[in-house]
Amino acid sequence: MYRLKEMKTSQAIIIGMILLALLLPWLPFGSSSNYILRVLTTAVLYMILALGLNIVPGFTGLLDLGYVGFYGIGAYTSGLLAIHYDLSLWIILPLAALNGALWGILLGAPTLRLTGDYFAIVTFGFSELVVLVLRNELWLTRGPMGLPGISPPSIFGHPLTRDWEFFYLILFLLAVVFVVVRRMEDSRLGRAWFAIREDEIAAQCCGVNLIRYKVTAFAISASIGAMGGAFYAKWFKFIHPDMFKFWESILILCLIVFGGMGSIWGTMLGALILIPLTEILRAVLPQSLFSARYLIYGLILVLMMRWRPEGLIPFESAQAEKAKQTQKRLAALVGKE
Amino acid sequence: MNPILHVKDLSKSFGGLVALQSVDLRAETAQIVGLIGPNGAGKTTLFNCLTGLTPPTQGQIEFRGNPIVPQFSERRIRLLKASTLLFFILGWIWAPLFYSLFLPRTFFKVELVLLGIFILGMRCLMVRALVEFKIWAWSLMFVFLLSDLITGLWAVIHWGASIAFVGTGFPFGYVALPWAIVAVPFSLFFMGLLLSRRVRLLYGFRLSPDALCRMGMGRTFQNIRLFFNLSVLDNVKIGFHGRLKSGFWQTLIRGRSQRQEEEAAEQAALDALRFVGLEHRTFDLASALAYGEQRRLEIARALVARPHLLLLDEPAAGMNPQESARLMDLIFKIRKMGTTVLIIEHDMKVMMNLADNIFVLDYGEMIAQGSPDEIRDNSRVIEAYLGGGPSTC
Amino acid sequence: MESLFDQSSLFLQQLVNGITLGGVYALIAVGYTMVYGVIQLINFAHGEIYMLGAFLAYTMVTVLGLPFFAAFALTLLICAVLGVLLDLIAYRPLRNAPRLAALITAIGMSIFLQNLALMIWGSQIKSYPVEALPPVFSRAALTFGDVSLSWLQVFILSVTVIFMIILHLVIHKTRIGTAMRAVSQDKTTSALMGIGVNRVISFTFAIGSAMGGMAGILVGLYYNAIFPTMGYIAGIKAFAAAVLGGIGSVPGAMLGGGVLGIAEVIGAGYISSEYRDGISYAVMIAVILFKPSGLIGRQIGEKV
Repeated sequence: MYRLKEMKTSQAIIIGMILLALLLPWLPFGSSSNYILRVLTTAVLYMILALGLNIVPGFTGLLDLGYVGFYGIGAYTSGLLAIHYDLSLWIILPLAALNGALWGILLGAPTLRLTGDYFAIVTFGFSELVVLVLRNELWLTRGPMGLPGISPPSIFGHPLTRDWEFFYLILFLLAVVFVVVRRMEDSRLGRAWFAIREDEIAAQCCGVNLIRYKVTAFAISASIGAMGGAFYAKWFKFIHPDMFKFWESILILCLIVFGGMGSIWGTMLGALILIPLTEILRAVLPQSLFSARYLIYGLILVLMMRWRPEGLIPFESAQAEKAKQTQKRLAALVGKE
Repeated sequence: MNPILHVKDLSKSFGGLVALQSVDLRAETAQIVGLIGPNGAGKTTLFNCLTGLTPPTQGQIEFRGNPIVPQFSERRIRLLKASTLLFFILGWIWAPLFYSLFLPRTFFKVELVLLGIFILGMRCLMVRALVEFKIWAWSLMFVFLLSDLITGLWAVIHWGASIAFVGTGFPFGYVALPWAIVAVPFSLFFMGLLLSRRVRLLYGFRLSPDALCRMGMGRTFQNIRLFFNLSVLDNVKIGFHGRLKSGFWQTLIRGRSQRQEEEAAEQAALDALRFVGLEHRTFDLASALAYGEQRRLEIARALVARPHLLLLDEPAAGMNPQESARLMDLIFKIRKMGTTVLIIEHDMKVMMNLADNIFVLDYGEMIAQGSPDEIRDNSRVIEAYLGGGPSTC
Repeated sequence: MESLFDQSSLFLQQLVNGITLGGVYALIAVGYTMVYGVIQLINFAHGEIYMLGAFLAYTMVTVLGLPFFAAFALTLLICAVLGVLLDLIAYRPLRNAPRLAALITAIGMSIFLQNLALMIWGSQIKSYPVEALPPVFSRAALTFGDVSLSWLQVFILSVTVIFMIILHLVIHKTRIGTAMRAVSQDKTTSALMGIGVNRVISFTFAIGSAMGGMAGILVGLYYNAIFPTMGYIAGIKAFAAAVLGGIGSVPGAMLGGGVLGIAEVIGAGYISSEYRDGISYAVMIAVILFKPSGLIGRQIGEKV
């Protein structure tokens, strides 16, 4: 029964957040404006994306600049499946995730034996190639005309149209992704990733097969990204190659750098702060200046690296917290005996 | 009795620099074997060769009776070289045909010819690389053959089989089609070659450090390499990695076997920490540990997987007398468990008390071996290593 | 045989264009390769220096009304200063930080500079006013049949070759060049030998950035288009060229630039012009996968 006790502190926070999130559409400021709800849906979507990206640079310590390629692959998988086969969201999501993982493995297996810099640049090239293909293969993607008219998802035959319905859907997805990432983190797999992040050579000498664990990380990250893309296509009902340009990768990278690379709570916090901030900027700034908003993201990256490279919630403190919890759990175990 | 580690005639050179020169070394089960030598004698290089981090240039290492360095059989190499050459000759006959050098002028294009010459050049370059057993050349070979296939088929479909070579009337399709068909099994053959473990070993793929670790080899490093941002417990748990099996799906489902494994890992880690006397620091971050504690944590991390052979690279460096005395006790305890310990150490006092057998390296050569007393009296060792005379130790 | 001749002249024309383009890539690639050689960092912001070079020269020619060659020289100077500042502000504080941090900073600087340019100059495509340029640029210098070489191309090629030779001499014949080579081997030891490591790194950034800025002007002239995102694509192509030639090697950058320029122009002509940019990415990925040390580079390994 020690599990219950272990959960207590963190679970209280989680339950509180879940309640808050669930009640949100019914709160006065929430229901008064669908705009806020849409902003929050975006924020939660980016929380999922950030959790996915975090696995590669955060857990494994490799800079992945091509994350948005998988996001785009997922979105187009979802859009095309929805348009041509009219599949349900619950079939599309796993298919998109699988497709993302497939491309992740195809790209990762040969490139992950490279050093970090080369890996970064290859993933960057990959995401650019994805955009080029999306733009030019007219027979498949309709190119620059984009893919309009994606049918909305439906649950038990009830099509989702209202904003709060999408909000709940994305919250559910976030919960799933969160549980998956948490389980990965606190396991043999996650420890192997951390070992690679901390010291590749020492990890190797502890029996960690570098390529295998890097590819696993990359594939899982890619499939989470693709899942986010699949939701995005179903939600926005229109996708366009330019939505998946390199800048998106930078934005997501910025989220995790800001929040704290490698810590799950940190990445989620980063998305929760920065995405609404972007929306505020959109409301406040004139259009011409808003198009240069990436200036701020660039600045955040530089400043964070200079003065607080570990982010708002650092990896180390997350690990220390984890150790403290283990200590409590073991103490309880000993006390019972 | 079979030695647990047997190094035969091992050499390693970096470019022109010879780091190790036909080194022989034997370690029996449950022995403490010392490795000494002046700075730059190649001790750490030897360790890296043993753990699979750097490939040796020549020689053989047997660990628990298994060879861990690729062994080239002369006959197989000759066979592979011959088949490579055959391919190239065939490829050269094919490439000009394919790039329409001999076709009627309607098909003659400057750029096609240049492309053909370029590809020929690439293939020429590849021969050397293939003979040197470069793995990328083999994969490129696969790509070339496959492209031969595709272009061959394309040519036959678009130009028709009736186009003939200049001045001969010999139909192009008679050559292109068969080659295209033959290229398939050949390219598959090369891909298969790359995938098979034997050829990978033959082509310079050696056992990787992680595979060696899972075979029962643990090591520590000269400059401490811990996972500093993780807790002490997690550091040791990672050392247990090779003993666990659960992969992605088990972790996702978190079934009974995965939970049992996790508990086993935790128990083993706690035991190992108690063994090295770090149980009071279990839940701290590794970076918070004192220097001597970090050294012991590294040993715990290597020990937790119960290795058959433990390699310690200067474990007593930077330790005060009390700490190194404690370390010596620990190493004796490790030997009692039945683990062989191979140890590099500068502190002669430690080494003389500790080792059952000492090997002395100097400029990459093994100049002496024997019991501590023999080494103490060996004139060559005194000359090379101790310099001043026996009194210094 | 009329068609045959047409075909080959088209091909030769494209070869000429490709070599010109390759020269420019080589100029940018030198900046990447030198910085990588000295501090093992992919300086993503280098592409932005190139873009700024084009814009600075544009501003000097149009707003300040400077003569073209004066603007050209001044831009080189300003770009060199910018490069040094970039290193000073962004990279120097992170010299001993993990490589991931420096890499992220480089990307952040790149995004920052690009959007700064977007804010200052707007997103419209600009071009150098024709009257400000030497009129000789638009005339054809040499013509063989249908193959022609404009004076602009001659200018680009000769500038590239001259500066490459100068660079080669600087690296191999001068004191600072020797210091650079020493630093690229081992920073600590060089410092112990009395080399001012930071000074050498600054010098490297200065030279690389000056070359990058010059490439920016040349490309702006060649394509007659300057826009804030030009640095991002050209930067990545130049990096591809540097990798192709073997990162850390200056002749390698030249070779890589040449090969990539030709491959790109010919690929665009014969395979598909839509995938023009894709060709360089594909070349880069292939080289990194199969021969990461490049055509003439040395293997990079980690010390245990």
